[in-house]
Amino acid sequence: MTRLTTEALIIDIPGCASGVPLSLAIEPGQVWGVLGPNGVGKTTLLHTLAGLREPRSGQLLLDGTPLGDIRRKTVSQRMGLVFQDRQDGFPATALETALIGRHPWLSPWQMESGENLAIAERALETLDVIHLKDRLVNTLSGGERQRVAIATLMTQSPEIWLLDEPTNHLDLQHQTAVMKLLRQQAACDRAVFMCLHDLNLAARWCDQILLLYPDGQACWGPARDILVTSALESLFGQRLLSAELDGFPVFVPG
Amino acid sequence: MVYRFLLLLFLGTPSASAELCVVDAINRTLCLSDPAQRAVSLSPGATELLFSAGAGDRVVAVSAWSDYPVEAAELPQVGDSNRLDLEAIVSLAPDLVVAWVDGNSRSQLERLSDLGISVFWLAPRTFDDIAAAVSDLALLTGSPDLGNERAEAFRAEIVKLKAQYADARPVKVFYQIWDQPLMTVNRDELISKAITLCGGVNVFGGLPRLVPRISREAVLEANPEVIITAGSSDDRQWLEAWREFPGLAAVAAGNLFLEPPDLLARPTLRMADGARHLCQTLEQARANL
Amino acid sequence: MPISSPYKPLLILLLAGFLAALISVSIGSTAIGFEDTLRVITGSGTELQQTLILELRLPRTLSAFATGGLLAVAGALMQVLLRNPLADPYVLGLSGGAAVGALLAMLAGAAGFLVSGSAFVGAMLATLLVFGLAHGSGSWTPSRLLLTGVVVAAGWGAIITLILSMTPASRLPGMLYWLMGDLSHAATPWPGLIILVLVCLMVFPLGRALNVLARGSLQAAALGVSVRPLEWSIYLMASLLTATAVTMAGSVGFVGLVVPHMLRLVLGNDQRLILPACALAGGTLLVLADTLARVVIAPEQLPVGVITALIGVPTFLYLLYRSR
Repeated sequence: MTRLTTEALIIDIPGCASGVPLSLAIEPGQVWGVLGPNGVGKTTLLHTLAGLREPRSGQLLLDGTPLGDIRRKTVSQRMGLVFQDRQDGFPATALETALIGRHPWLSPWQMESGENLAIAERALETLDVIHLKDRLVNTLSGGERQRVAIATLMTQSPEIWLLDEPTNHLDLQHQTAVMKLLRQQAACDRAVFMCLHDLNLAARWCDQILLLYPDGQACWGPARDILVTSALESLFGQRLLSAELDGFPVFVPG
Repeated sequence: MVYRFLLLLFLGTPSASAELCVVDAINRTLCLSDPAQRAVSLSPGATELLFSAGAGDRVVAVSAWSDYPVEAAELPQVGDSNRLDLEAIVSLAPDLVVAWVDGNSRSQLERLSDLGISVFWLAPRTFDDIAAAVSDLALLTGSPDLGNERAEAFRAEIVKLKAQYADARPVKVFYQIWDQPLMTVNRDELISKAITLCGGVNVFGGLPRLVPRISREAVLEANPEVIITAGSSDDRQWLEAWREFPGLAAVAAGNLFLEPPDLLARPTLRMADGARHLCQTLEQARANL
Repeated sequence: MPISSPYKPLLILLLAGFLAALISVSIGSTAIGFEDTLRVITGSGTELQQTLILELRLPRTLSAFATGGLLAVAGALMQVLLRNPLADPYVLGLSGGAAVGALLAMLAGAAGFLVSGSAFVGAMLATLLVFGLAHGSGSWTPSRLLLTGVVVAAGWGAIITLILSMTPASRLPGMLYWLMGDLSHAATPWPGLIILVLVCLMVFPLGRALNVLARGSLQAAALGVSVRPLEWSIYLMASLLTATAVTMAGSVGFVGLVVPHMLRLVLGNDQRLILPACALAGGTLLVLADTLARVVIAPEQLPVGVITALIGVPTFLYLLYRSR
């Protein structure tokens, strides 16, 4: 069980004024959704949380220890990230791609064993791409590649899952499957923290919400408290209609 | 060395085959116990010098472009001077390889030395070097008397020319060795030394490189009284091109001369003939001025 | 990566290398039959045959093998570093930088180790220059990288010509081969072979990290790779390999491009397999190319760079065409 906390964290977006300091506590069992218009720094925040970018100020603690004091390898055993963009400069099969998720768990001299292979295949199966395991990733469709990327994170099996728009390119059926998977992971005392652009997905699946405003303001808390029409209208600069369906709020442009 | 000298002193007479020792152009002493029987020449100049030294019948292979004397052109070739076929050389089992400092790669020939093959380096930069090269090669190939005789004849010819033109009126000479790019020689080149011998002044003698590239402008500025190039009648057009500039002293005086193509091209004994011809040309040029 | 049997392809390549070396030492301007060659290798044969094969052909064959292996591994490493299969020490001007370094040292009268050291510095400088200039905001885009590399390589070419024109004629013959790679000047194959083996051993534990790096530096960092130190060590190794190859044989082009590309088509992209395979296949290719260079217009000798360029240029153009 690992928790990630930020203390007065201000992310560094070059050329932008500093936003409100963020003091978040991402706890095991929570599913966080980050909402905000384009260019507000959702991806930057995610990269900063993963330790891939230096924040402008404030600090990040993984179980109370500053992130910078922990070995990169240890960090990646506990925290993983699905990127929005992926580079496929060289051809690799889906299975090979998923298998690199085992990297943090192996010593330099170790070859990937059958056990690692089984973990990767299980992840591909969960994401419904096992039938593509020997196909080259650059020949797959966008949605299939997205699922391979999530399978890679699952193979890495960290306790904190960071995901940048995990439902990109996915059809409805796979969107639901992926969100269900993420909830399941949270139920196993993992923490999930993702950027989303679909308000209703956030409303349906997240229990914690962070809103990032273009002017640097932010607010966060339990989904019930944060997802109110007036706050969302000012976030997106768009009039919204809302209703409640099956116990979950639904928003449509008004 | 000292010990060997003492040893010889004690033993009295030197052994029957006295060592033949010479110092080459890279200051290495080369000693052969017996005259070389199988020589390989690695440049056209070396080939010519070997033949002049009376060793023509001992040359077993030559480099590409070895076209003089004509017998040399018939011999097997071992590659051109900057990319030699070491294997072909080794398999001929030579007891003397004559290399050319300005043409052959030092590192490549180190391999031959490492294999125990005697390499003699040549780099004739003066008339005296040419004569010395003939004597040395003759010594190494077993006809020292003939070599010395030819070397002396060459030296005498040079001395004679020098005396003959010592008081001749100096003329400014531009010697063109190529036209595109325009190239000439500086004072360290033997051709320039031949010009000096004949009482000429090489207008580009002071340039730092042996074979400088120059511009047409530089030639106009130097305003030579004679322009000379070597070549066959086809190369006459290089000279004719200068007629475009009638203000040039050489053009005005009609002093555009074509020298015989091969006599001055290589630092060999033929240089004496080339120099004599050049001196006559300059005499004629003086008459035109 | 799941390699079914990682040693089989390497074994096949090793065998191919031996075969190529055997062909190379049995072919030359002096005809020595294949049987006689075998006899020499097993310790008999005439003295002349022994000299030709053991003292002249074998060192050259080994030098060719080392040079090819060094360049292929350097190419493969740079391709991972830049996430771009078009990277090659020759195309990006590393060879040119190394040649300039070596030539300057030779012009100053240095020899041996100083020349190699200076070539290493030249290669490093060339890499820094190209990577620094091509690294705009974000990543190394292929077009920007290649353009920078080509322009910088042309610059090195001009400097080489300048140095050669300032060199006294008496020292020129041993220097001209920098312009077009040529193995007839290689003195001893051992430093190259030793460095090749050392780097292959060093790279093996880094192999999986390199696989991860090939997917982008952020992805690699997210998977626990210390990206900066890894990138720097690749960069240093690629420069060292290139500089060693260049001091042996001048600028031989395109081996670093062709060999990794061919191998990836067949073996996939696991660096733990690809890098040693590059060492073997690159060596084999250059041994064959040099053999061809020696016999194609015999008794005249061609520089091996001509052959590799004739193979490499079409491959490069094909890759560029396909990468649109």
